Amino acid sequence: MSLKCNALVLVGATAALLLAATSEPVAPLGKYTAAERRHWAFQPRAHPAPPTFNSPADAAWSKSPIDAFVLARMQKESLTHAPPADRMTLVRRVTFDLTGLPPTPAEVSAFVKDKSPNAWEKVVDRLLASEHYGEHWGHHWLDVVRFAETEGFEYDNFRPDAWRYRDYVIRAFNNDKPYDRFIQEQLAGDEIAPKEDETLIAAGFNRLGPVRRNAGNQAVASSRNEQLTEMTNIVGAGIMGVTLGCARCHDHKFDAFRQSDYYRVQAFFAPLQPYDLVKASDAEQAAWKAKATPIQAQIAQLQKEITQATKAGAATTELMAKLEEEQDALPDALPSLFTVKDDFANKAPIHLLPRGDFEHPGDAVGMRTPGVFLPEATPELPEDTANPRELLARWLTSADNPLTARVMVNRIWEYHFGRGIVATPNDFGRMGERPVNPALLDYLANEFVDSGWSVKHMQRLILLSNTYQQSSVPETDKDPDGRYLTRFPRQRLEAEQLRDAMLSVSGLLNQKTSGPGVMLPIDKTLVQALYKPSQWAPPKDTAEYNRRSVYLIYKRNLELPFMQVFDAPDMTLSCPRRESSTHAPQALEMLNGDFANQMAKAFSARLLKEAGPDHRRQIELAWRLAVSRAPKPAELRMAMQFLNVGAAGQSQARDQLALAMFNLNAFLYVN
Amino acid sequence: MSEHIRITRNRREFLTNAFCGFGSIAMADLLMRSAARAAELNANPLAPKAPSMPDKAKAKSVIFLFMAGGPSHIDTFDPKPLLNRLNGQKRPAEFGEAKYQFVQSNATLLGTKRTFRKYGQSGIEMSDLFPHIAECADDIAMLRSIHGDMVVHSAAQYQLFTGRILPGFPSMGSWTLYGLGTESESLPGYVVMPDPHGALEAGQPMYGTGFLPAVYQPTMLRPGAKPVLNLDLPQGVTREGRMKTLSLIKGLDKEDMRPGDQELEARLNSYDLAFRMQTEAPEIFDLSKESPKMLEMYGVGDPKTDDYGRRLLLTRRLIEKGVRFVCPVSGGGPGNLQWDAHDDIEENHLRMAAQTDKPIAALIKDLKQRGLLDSTLVVWGGEFGRSPESQGSKGRDHHNLGFTMWMAGGGIRGGQVVGATDEIGLKAIKDPYHLRDVHTTILNQLGLDQDALSYLHQGRKERLTEVRGNVIAQIV
Repeated sequence: MSLKCNALVLVGATAALLLAATSEPVAPLGKYTAAERRHWAFQPRAHPAPPTFNSPADAAWSKSPIDAFVLARMQKESLTHAPPADRMTLVRRVTFDLTGLPPTPAEVSAFVKDKSPNAWEKVVDRLLASEHYGEHWGHHWLDVVRFAETEGFEYDNFRPDAWRYRDYVIRAFNNDKPYDRFIQEQLAGDEIAPKEDETLIAAGFNRLGPVRRNAGNQAVASSRNEQLTEMTNIVGAGIMGVTLGCARCHDHKFDAFRQSDYYRVQAFFAPLQPYDLVKASDAEQAAWKAKATPIQAQIAQLQKEITQATKAGAATTELMAKLEEEQDALPDALPSLFTVKDDFANKAPIHLLPRGDFEHPGDAVGMRTPGVFLPEATPELPEDTANPRELLARWLTSADNPLTARVMVNRIWEYHFGRGIVATPNDFGRMGERPVNPALLDYLANEFVDSGWSVKHMQRLILLSNTYQQSSVPETDKDPDGRYLTRFPRQRLEAEQLRDAMLSVSGLLNQKTSGPGVMLPIDKTLVQALYKPSQWAPPKDTAEYNRRSVYLIYKRNLELPFMQVFDAPDMTLSCPRRESSTHAPQALEMLNGDFANQMAKAFSARLLKEAGPDHRRQIELAWRLAVSRAPKPAELRMAMQFLNVGAAGQSQARDQLALAMFNLNAFLYVN
Repeated sequence: MSEHIRITRNRREFLTNAFCGFGSIAMADLLMRSAARAAELNANPLAPKAPSMPDKAKAKSVIFLFMAGGPSHIDTFDPKPLLNRLNGQKRPAEFGEAKYQFVQSNATLLGTKRTFRKYGQSGIEMSDLFPHIAECADDIAMLRSIHGDMVVHSAAQYQLFTGRILPGFPSMGSWTLYGLGTESESLPGYVVMPDPHGALEAGQPMYGTGFLPAVYQPTMLRPGAKPVLNLDLPQGVTREGRMKTLSLIKGLDKEDMRPGDQELEARLNSYDLAFRMQTEAPEIFDLSKESPKMLEMYGVGDPKTDDYGRRLLLTRRLIEKGVRFVCPVSGGGPGNLQWDAHDDIEENHLRMAAQTDKPIAALIKDLKQRGLLDSTLVVWGGEFGRSPESQGSKGRDHHNLGFTMWMAGGGIRGGQVVGATDEIGLKAIKDPYHLRDVHTTILNQLGLDQDALSYLHQGRKERLTEVRGNVIAQIV
């Protein structure tokens, strides 16, 4: 497979000649010391054999290679593994883990009662096949690529077709699209298969970053530079798992990325232009045109007047306001694909930008992948190379790329265990953490590539391991943060999981999948706090408000308070790992917030409807729905006493019990 | 490696305090028990922390009087007689070039209609837009040579608040909270009071916590009687009822918890804090107990100054209670309701100054009379200044190459002027200070070292100042 890498080098050999003919000074190709090349993450993957154990108990526990690597690592610290978790805990754990939703009481009891030897395997396979799987695992990827449905900055305009990319990601996970193909389509779908909607939508990946627009003189060059920066940095952070973006202003201070490496990667994007490919029939397009033409004429007229007024030194505010009004009056854009295309004719050359300042460009550069991965003095690719991003993607996803597979298996590991083998998933460089278990990381990465880059294959391996099925109760205080996996690390639900779980438990979850994003009704004062309050228009169909969180509109300038308070990222930078902070406003949101109280009322009504008036039955159902187990005797006693308030206070007490359930640690945490 | 603040405390202390806050006894009584309170503070990531440079720490709190939209330096605090003489002419070439958002190269210079006078013993010159602030001249360090990198609102606002021209980075309020925690147990530690007229171009991410944990996020106060979201009990729920529910939650959690589980313990403690916030904060927001004289001093009751005056009076009350960072915003919504005077500098600035002058002076005097000014750093300014050229015939465009901010209190030596712009107010030419130097100086007064106050994010030690800033030595 190293052929692909070498092919790049060979193609490049002629490039030096081509570039030598141009008069512009060209940045040196860079030199990389042996020590720089030796950095662990830049080394080819090792092929470690799983450790073996003398003690029969250890040998029995470590039947799978994952367990063998994990056990060997903890034994090095003189630690040992935890006993297996009970079945109720396991099924709750794996259901949240794979689908982001709690198991139903029926699913819990089916697993608890299933005595067949492959009972666990059946649960894992059922969940991997669930359509909710892609909704949850797609969301992890959306964090990495900082997906949002608006442009950010002043106007924060909607991207009415960006949801297609979100659905693409969900589909890709559900269909277990090979990860190499997944990356190729996102970076270069328009080059690889320019006629296929699916790949064109995938290539919208390159446009996901914020875009700055403003009134008046458009800083076109600066805005273009910001977009190129976004495209380049996400390749580093999201796919390579390195802080390539640090080399934008100067040579990287810690890792072997020269500033010229940064701009040589950027050069692969030089011909790229945003492209909205309209998908509407001729009749629809004609109808749209009929509506839009007079307004567009108005807009053109106003723009002319504004230019004239500016020249004459007259006031323009009123004209600008009218212009905005007209722009808002344009009919909704026709459905289109939010994608990109190469425009070689208008390609602007890429230069080093000392201190990142686009107004003072330095030496010119052409395309080349980062030099530390290439033989010394590998030349740039020829300027007229076709399908440049496809080449970049193929280099990234070649079997012997030292980073891509390691970085992705580490993400998968992190989402299952709450912590990566490398604890800094976007930084495999010298400032990032060293892998706690390098042999395991390489074993997983090899397995990933050999399986044809199958994410589900990796997950099956992980979930069927004893490591995953351990109890979360710490047996030792020598592994406080669960680094050595001497237990399954308990995790707090992420903001979206929490919201979805409340919808699910209360029985209100709308299971509709895919389609345009949904705006939730939110506090008036928050809408007023938008630059254009008219941008926030929730749908009339209230059932839409109960959709899963992955289908909510992510507006960069308006984070939903519920999401914000529970550490959802703001989607302006790649988020490799959610924070999990604990603070009073979370308690206020869960006790006093509108959403929590609406859900509690619905949950309470469900308890009455499904369990009848008997308190004990209501309580048992509440526990089974919310925390996937029966109440303990003391819990039952406390809850019985709480509901024992006489007929008049009945429904309120039940509402409050329902609210209390959502506030329990047992609800917020997965063991 | 991660610099994430973790809840730390030793085991013995934990065992002593474990579960003191739980059970079926009424919560209010429990809250009085010092052991429970100590446990709570230990588990609270917002508990006060010592500054990294204790010898430099003069200020405990910051009030950032944000003049959104960009007030003109030329018409407020930076007199330019030559500009008046050149009124109507093109900018002489020797002053150099500037890029604007709207104004084209053919624009002509616009003198000011304001009159300037020297105030106080220090004789700092200010325009007649601010007769009240002028009375505080000797407390004020006038910074006439501030410059930033961006000439459009959104990016300039990000730079003013976060040091970066892009969204996604923590604001100075979040950094301050991260560095020092907060001394107020019942109030949020970082409060933003937006102008009720509406939002600003940079939107919510400007004030936000970026990649820092959500615990450092700002609390945005809403206009009206219920400024904090979720602080009120839901309809139909009484205080007693709520206490019963809380008691149930705690009882059930305790049943399902191993002793010594610090993370879950911290979560339970956050419920105590939330409860305390709910009971104590509304009193702080209620201005009705303030004397008529005090209300009058802040301009409460006068339609011009009522809104901003109320917010500044509330600012003082928050500072008194130990809130770490307060940002009352002047200006919001459409440009002309900010200091964004594209059309008519006179109309806009007369109106905006009239709303803010008296309340700001009242705040400084009030802090001073309470002995709070020494420990409270007050900073005044916008994301940029305005152009010496006219936009239209009477307006001014954005301008980032030289403009004025000022500071008072918090250990700042007032009664002096720092730096200067050229003779038409185009560029900072004497002792220029970048916005990052303003950040550095704010951190310095809080005793926070700009390098030590960092957070490892994606392999990079991120800091408010990004590139090393300089303390404005003349004023500290």
